Amino acid sequence: MTAKFNISATLDCDVLVIGAGGAGLRCAAEILEKKPGTRIVAVTKVAHCQKSHTSTAQGGLAAVDPKDPADKPIYHMFDTWKGSDCMADQNVVKKIVDSAWEQIVWLENKGMHFSRNQEGGLSKRTFGGHTVRFGQSSAYRAVFEADRTGKGIMDSVWGETLRNGVSFVNQSIATELLFKDGRCVGAVLLSERKGEFVAVCAKATIFATGGDGQIFRVTTNCRQNTGDGLSLVLDAGLPVMDMEAVQFHPTGIVGPGILASETLRSVGGILRNRDLEPFMEKYAPKMKELAPRDLVARAIETEIQEGRGIMNPDHHIEHVWIDLRHLSDYVHEVEIPEVTSFFKKFVNIDPKNELCPVRPSNHYQMGGIPTTEFGEVQNASGEIIRGLYAVGECAAASFHGFNRLGTNSILELITMGRFVGQRVVESLTDQLPELPADAGKKSFALFSAYLDQTGKENLEKIREESRALMTEKVGVFRTEVGISEAIETLKALKERAANTTLSCKSLKMSPELILRWELDNLLSISIVTAVCALNRRESRGGHARKDFPERKDDFNYHTLATMTEFAKVDLANRAVDMSIFESECEHYERFGIIERKY
Amino acid sequence: MQETYEIILKIQRYDPDNARSWVQSYPLEAGRILRFTDLFRKINKELDATLAWNSSCEHGQCGSCSVKINGKPMLACELLVENAVAHFKTNEFLIEPLTIAPVVRDLIVDFDQAYERVNKIKPYIIEPVENPNSGNEYKISPRHLERYVDATRCINCFCCATACISSHHNFLGPNAMMASMVRLMDLREKAKDERKKLLYSEEGVYRCHSSMACSFVCPKEIDVAHFIALAKSGEVESDA
Repeated sequence: MTAKFNISATLDCDVLVIGAGGAGLRCAAEILEKKPGTRIVAVTKVAHCQKSHTSTAQGGLAAVDPKDPADKPIYHMFDTWKGSDCMADQNVVKKIVDSAWEQIVWLENKGMHFSRNQEGGLSKRTFGGHTVRFGQSSAYRAVFEADRTGKGIMDSVWGETLRNGVSFVNQSIATELLFKDGRCVGAVLLSERKGEFVAVCAKATIFATGGDGQIFRVTTNCRQNTGDGLSLVLDAGLPVMDMEAVQFHPTGIVGPGILASETLRSVGGILRNRDLEPFMEKYAPKMKELAPRDLVARAIETEIQEGRGIMNPDHHIEHVWIDLRHLSDYVHEVEIPEVTSFFKKFVNIDPKNELCPVRPSNHYQMGGIPTTEFGEVQNASGEIIRGLYAVGECAAASFHGFNRLGTNSILELITMGRFVGQRVVESLTDQLPELPADAGKKSFALFSAYLDQTGKENLEKIREESRALMTEKVGVFRTEVGISEAIETLKALKERAANTTLSCKSLKMSPELILRWELDNLLSISIVTAVCALNRRESRGGHARKDFPERKDDFNYHTLATMTEFAKVDLANRAVDMSIFESECEHYERFGIIERKY
Repeated sequence: MQETYEIILKIQRYDPDNARSWVQSYPLEAGRILRFTDLFRKINKELDATLAWNSSCEHGQCGSCSVKINGKPMLACELLVENAVAHFKTNEFLIEPLTIAPVVRDLIVDFDQAYERVNKIKPYIIEPVENPNSGNEYKISPRHLERYVDATRCINCFCCATACISSHHNFLGPNAMMASMVRLMDLREKAKDERKKLLYSEEGVYRCHSSMACSFVCPKEIDVAHFIALAKSGEVESDA
C-alpha cells in the first residue's frame, strides 16, 4: 500500500495541547474550569494519557502547608535557589512555591488518593535538599501518594479533563508547528493508528511534551521521551535553553536504568567496585554513601571510567555494586520493599543475598523551551511568540536552574500547568486564525523522504550508538576533548541515518517509521546538548566539566541555543531573574550568588 | 548459572495494509535477564524491523506493553528470559495481542476502544460531597483509605479484562468495575446512586463468573476479584 501524503482532516479548536501528561492536562483542566466549553484537543504519543511519564514519578510533591508552624515558603524558595546552583529564575520560584499548597488541595479535592496521617490529613515526609530555617534541619514538606505520587496526579488530571470534555488524540505525533504572520496557529499531527496526517487549527498551542532522557543510553525516562517537542521547536527556528543542565541519578538499575531510590543509601547500603572495595570513603570520607546525589554519581562514574566497574553480560553496560546484604530483614522487608522488588523483578537478584548492579542513570532535563513566568514561549531575543506556550519538563521558565530538587518536578507540572491555563484563557477572545496554505508540506517532505531513502545502515544500531555516545561523553562527566569527539560522531551518525531503508512503507502504526523520525530528534537534541555543554567552561549543578571543575560567576546566565540546520548551533544568553534578591525583602541576602554546599 | 538461552518467539502478526494475519517465528539467543521488551527490540534490530509492539515506561508502571504470552496476559517489560523459561517450562513462547480491542498492527491493539469501558464508569468524582473543611483537604482516615487503596494502584493494562472468562461484549470488565468501586468507597463522592446503577446494570458485576482470573493475572498483584466480590455482596458504601 502506498502512503498517502495529504491532510485527511482539519480540526478546529480553541486550544491544542501537545503532550497529555501531568502538565498538559493540568493546564487543560484549568482552562475548562475557568472557561467551560472551551474546545481542547490533547494529543499524546503514547497509547493513552495514563501511560505518560508523569505516571512513573514516585516520591512526592513539595509544598509548604500554611498550617505548619515550622515551615515557611521562604525556606522552600531558598532550598530551590540553592539547589539550582544560583540559576533558577526567582520570579518563577516565588510564584510556584507560593501557590504550591493551593494546588495540593486542588488535587485532593479532585480525588487524588494522598497518603494520610492519623488525623485524616495529608501525610508528609522529608526529602533531600528540603530544609527549614535555611538549611538548619530537614523539612517535612513532601506530600505523597505512597510510592506512586505521579500516577495519582496523572489519574486526577485525566479524570478532570475526561469529565469536562477534552478530545484526546492518542498514539499520534506532532510533526510540524504551523505559523501565520509570526503567530502559532496549530500543528500537523500524524495519527499512527490511522496512518493519516491531520491539521489542527488552534487559537493557542501548548507544548507539554516532557523530557528528552532517551538521548542517553541509561535513563530513568520512558522510551517515548525522545526530545520530539524540543526538536519541533528548534525546527521552527525557536531557541531551547540550558540544555547542558542534565540531572543524573546515582543509582539506576542495570541495564535499563530504572530508578533505585536514594533510600538504599540512607538505610546503609554500601557502594562497592569490581574489587569489592567500599569506594565512597575515597570521595567523601565523612559523608560516604550519604553524600549528595551528584557527588555520588560522579564517584561511581569515576570508578567505572578508571576500570573498576563490572560489565553486565546481558545488557553490555558497566556498573558498580550496591551491597545490601548486611542489612537486617526488617530493613529489607519494611524500609525498602519496593526497591527490593525492582531488583528481583528486573535483574532477578535477591538483595538479601546478592550484590545489586547499579550505575548513574539520566533522570531529568532542567532546561527546555524558554518561557516567561506565564509559560509564553520566547524567541532568542526574549520576544513572546503569540499563540505558543510551553509547560512541564519540556519548558524552562526556569524553576530548577541547573539542578532540580527531588519532589520539585511534579510540583512544577501542577502549578505552572495552572498558571499557563489561566494565561491561555485570557487569550481566547481572538478569532480562530487561518492555517497557512502550505500546512503539511514540511511533514510530507520529511516522511516521504524517510520512506524513499535507501541504504544498508541499521536504524536501531545508529540509535544505540548515539545514546551510548551521549552517556559516555556528554554524561555525568564532560571534557572539551570528549564533547568535541561526540559532536563529530553525531554528525557522522546523522549522515548514516540517511542511509537506512525502511522495510514497511506504510504510515499506519509503523514502529520503524517512528523510530526513524525519533532518531532525527534524538540526534538534534544530542548535538545541541553537546554544543551547550562545550560552551559552558565551568561546572555547575548537573553540568560537570572535568577540565573546569569550579563554578564561575562569568557564567551566571542561561544558555539559549537555536539550530536552523543540523549542527549549525547559534548560542545566546538570557539573564537569571533575581527579583527576590533585588526586592530586599526579609532574608533577601540568602538569594544572592551563594555557595551550593551541604 | 546459565548465561544465555536459545529461545523461539512465535509472534502473532497482523498487517492492516493487506489484511493479513500469520504467526512468525523468531529464534533468538538471549541473555538471562533480558526483558521481553528487550527481545522485541532485539528482533527489530537484528531480524525484522517491521514488528510492531507498544511500550512506554518499561518498568511496570504504565501498562502499555501488555500481551498474551503462552496464553497468559502479562506485561512484557516485567518478564525476564530466565523467569519465562522457568515459569512456562519451555523455550518457545507464543506472543499474542490482547483480546479486549481490535488489533491495529501485530501486538498493538486500539487502546481507545479498551478505555471506553473505563470511561463509561467515570473514573473521577462525578459530584463532590460538600467539604466541611472548605479550602482544605477532605479528612479521610488511613483506616478507611486502607479499604480500597489497593484498587487505586490499577494501571489499566487490561490484563485482567483479557483473562476474564465472562463475555467481553456484555461486561465492562474487572478493571472498570474496580475503578467504580474506588469512587463508591471514596468519601468525597456524592453520586453513589448513579454509580450503583451502572455497577448493577446489564454490563455490571453480575456478569462476573467469579473465576478469579483477574486476581491471578494482575501484574500489580491487586486482588481484583475481592473488590468485585464486595460489589456483589453490596458492601460498597463508605462507613466513615
